[in-house]
Amino acid sequence: MTAEAAPVSGEGPVGSGALEEAGALGKGPGAAGGSGAGGESGATPSLARRTLAVFTRNRLALLGAGVLAALLAFCFLGPFFYHTDQVHTDLDQASLAPGSHGHPLGTTDVGYDMLGRLMHGGQTSLEVGLAAGLLATLFGTVYGAVAGYFGGWVDAVLMRITDAALAIPALFLLVVVAAIVTPSKPVLILIIASVAWLSPARLIRGEALSLRSRDYVHAMRLMGGGGGRAVFRHILPNAVGTVIVNATFQIADAILYVAYLSFLGLSIPPPAADWGSMLSSGITYTQVGYWWLIFPPGLAIVLVVAAFNFIGDGLRDAFDVRLQKN
Amino acid sequence: MRQPRTRTGGRTRRASIAGLLLAALVLTGCGPKVEAVTDLGADEGTPVEGGTATMALPPAATPNWIFPIGAPGYLATHNSAIQNLLYPPLFTPEENKSGKVTMDSPRNVAEKPRFSDGNRTVTITLKKHYRWTDGTPVTADDVRFWFELIRANKNDWGGYSPKLMPDNVKKFELLGKHSFRLHLDRGYNPDWFVASQMESIKPLPRHAWSKKGEDPKKVFKRLLSHAKQLSKFDSDPLWKTTMGPWRVEKWTTSGVVQLVPNKRYAGPDKPHLDRVVLKPFTTAGSEFNVLRSGGLDYGYIPPSVMAQSEHFKKTGYRVEPWDSWGITYIVPNLNNPRTGPLIRQRYLRQALQSLIDQKSVAEHVWHGSAQPTLGPVPAALMDGNPFPYDPAKARRLLTGHGWKRGDDGTLRCAEPGTGEGQCGKGIGKGRRLALELLSQSGSTESSNTMQEIKSSFSRAGVSLQVREQPLNTVLGTTVPCKPEELVCSQWEMGFFGTAGSWIFPADPSGEKIFASGGPSNMGNWSDPETDRLIKRTEYSDDPSALRDYARHLAREVPVLWTPNPAYQVSVIRNDLRGVDQNPTLTLAPQDWYFVKKNGKSGARGGGKGAGQ
Repeated sequence: MTAEAAPVSGEGPVGSGALEEAGALGKGPGAAGGSGAGGESGATPSLARRTLAVFTRNRLALLGAGVLAALLAFCFLGPFFYHTDQVHTDLDQASLAPGSHGHPLGTTDVGYDMLGRLMHGGQTSLEVGLAAGLLATLFGTVYGAVAGYFGGWVDAVLMRITDAALAIPALFLLVVVAAIVTPSKPVLILIIASVAWLSPARLIRGEALSLRSRDYVHAMRLMGGGGGRAVFRHILPNAVGTVIVNATFQIADAILYVAYLSFLGLSIPPPAADWGSMLSSGITYTQVGYWWLIFPPGLAIVLVVAAFNFIGDGLRDAFDVRLQKN
Repeated sequence: MRQPRTRTGGRTRRASIAGLLLAALVLTGCGPKVEAVTDLGADEGTPVEGGTATMALPPAATPNWIFPIGAPGYLATHNSAIQNLLYPPLFTPEENKSGKVTMDSPRNVAEKPRFSDGNRTVTITLKKHYRWTDGTPVTADDVRFWFELIRANKNDWGGYSPKLMPDNVKKFELLGKHSFRLHLDRGYNPDWFVASQMESIKPLPRHAWSKKGEDPKKVFKRLLSHAKQLSKFDSDPLWKTTMGPWRVEKWTTSGVVQLVPNKRYAGPDKPHLDRVVLKPFTTAGSEFNVLRSGGLDYGYIPPSVMAQSEHFKKTGYRVEPWDSWGITYIVPNLNNPRTGPLIRQRYLRQALQSLIDQKSVAEHVWHGSAQPTLGPVPAALMDGNPFPYDPAKARRLLTGHGWKRGDDGTLRCAEPGTGEGQCGKGIGKGRRLALELLSQSGSTESSNTMQEIKSSFSRAGVSLQVREQPLNTVLGTTVPCKPEELVCSQWEMGFFGTAGSWIFPADPSGEKIFASGGPSNMGNWSDPETDRLIKRTEYSDDPSALRDYARHLAREVPVLWTPNPAYQVSVIRNDLRGVDQNPTLTLAPQDWYFVKKNGKSGARGGGKGAGQ
């Protein structure tokens, strides 16, 4: 490990080391790369089985996965069984309490059925959160891997850009940008991803600094392999544990960002909805006691964020080789 | 950056989430019980003199101008309301028992004006007993001082409109110590002239503010330099010479204004209280929290809390919407190159108006704190609504002019042309009936109103895209424009009426909002008949002039009328009485007083000095 890599390599989850360690010690069949290309490629079937076994031992992670599956089914399959009009308002049915006139969760202040709206809003929150989280992870990972592998002035320039961007409060940036453009799903995804990629970029850069000094990378270079091959066939596959774990947290954060922006009035215009904007308009009625406008979207946000965090914790353990049993 | 977790870290996170959930439950469901601020009902008790009343200013309103000639940018309602308590105008608007606003208030500084010479001259006599705080009598020369300052510096006066005051006064003639005559450039409707032109005329202390024979430009410049020193408003000797019922005790840079009675005030409405405190708040939320904790005698609540007005009644307050003498509307930009040809069709505007269910919006969205707007003048002056909510009529109007639903459910022009049953000039075959509305953000009620309108339009096949932006952005974009100007392409329809789109002086004339080239004619409405009718309201005192103008524009629908919200939904302590919420938004705390119960002091305002 180089002196430069030492301080930052510790920032990466141990999971990345797990794959590399397995490969280096030759504990798993093909761990050193079935293709014989050093660290190329990732997990073998037995490694995947061991990873899954560790993950399934974590009850909270399983609970998180179950909750997430239930929420996905609720939002995306629910509307096929529970039909509501989420486009046209109905002021005569405004602010009805749960259970009245065939509205199990009541109605909103302009007469939308609350249960249907929760499904409808969840689709936006989950779609934007997942897409923005994955986009941020993808871009940040490649950015960090390039910076870490090439080092030198490339690293210095790329990381100073990251540092400068990190110095600007994300919420401030989000509010400014969202006020300039009219929010829509693709726009929200881009806006959120544009501030969320910084964290994975720094994380993966640390991993890359550590991985680039491995023997199999040197061997690949000696055999004439280029920088692109090193990054995409060796560095990234060996950092996949870190990337996956981080992606779960990025998605959770992105869902919260959607809620923040909506809470600040910067959501996709009605009749579109998301859980954040539903919570925001519900808060207006706190003093009136319309709890059904506040608790359902609030709980949904808490549940989905907690679920992703539990899954992330489980995956982190799963990629930790020390917890794996042969 | 996110750090790698340990098992302990994970548990901490889970515990935090559980804690957050618990906190949310406690915060939303289990608030502390609030004690009643007074056990007096809304109409019991015996009046007492003295006490301090604290009133909340509107959200983000910071009083910052004491000079009674408003400079551009300093014309906010709260500024002029405070100035009028120190330097009252000659004539004050006041609502009469029939709900109309007149200029015949007993607190007027002058007697009723006398018009003569075919309404070309107006003679005014001041009431003789008024004095400045230094004992000097208030004279007609003090009014001439105001006129000289305005005439010499009209472009620095925020209330100036070309051809109106002071341009329309050919000569100011001093007739005696307490009377003067204005010679006008033509005959005017006396009601319009007093309400729209003389509302801003007020005596100013020439003896204290100007040297003998000093150039009005020089005086104005000096006064302006003092007026910009906000931190000295309560200490500058210049502002100590006043004549209204109140004088400034304290005026902080953060916007707290404390007023105490002017002991030399000679008007009929002498103050009953010892002190009035006007408190600023950055947001409506912070004001609401102080109100709930009993820190205000006179505050306001969001319309959404109207449903909970019983809570305030139980805790010793009365809830009274403060209706304004105004109208509210969505402005269509007739000069927009893309949608101008659509909106210029009268049948289309009438159809869109018939799709707005004002009654339901006022009742459900504004929780009863708004009233439908029926035309270009306040609803109390309208004699009918030519376009009530009628979606069937709207559909007939649209299909009768060649519009048919396309595959996407939106109407498309199937019969282009200018003949009967055709879409109209400038509308090509297949043109979608799609509009964009730039609406102010920050108000649940306004957002919901636009949501309801969008929904209603959509049912009829009209696509409406609503884009919300902060009020200042909307006001900066929705300006009068020519089709070739870039700004004209940037907005199709605009809404800035969360607190009412336009508040009138006593006379609701339309020269500023609907006359061709009017300074606030945002939608670029230009119609010779409208201009003729507006001129008639200015020149003729025939009551039919205003009626004809109102009927014509109600039918033309130059803007889409929407419910006119209350200026604010006021919450007032039961033991604070005499509060008259003037629809022109002036303040009269000199009429306020506290009451006590059965000879004992009230909970707050009882005996002299109580509650200070």
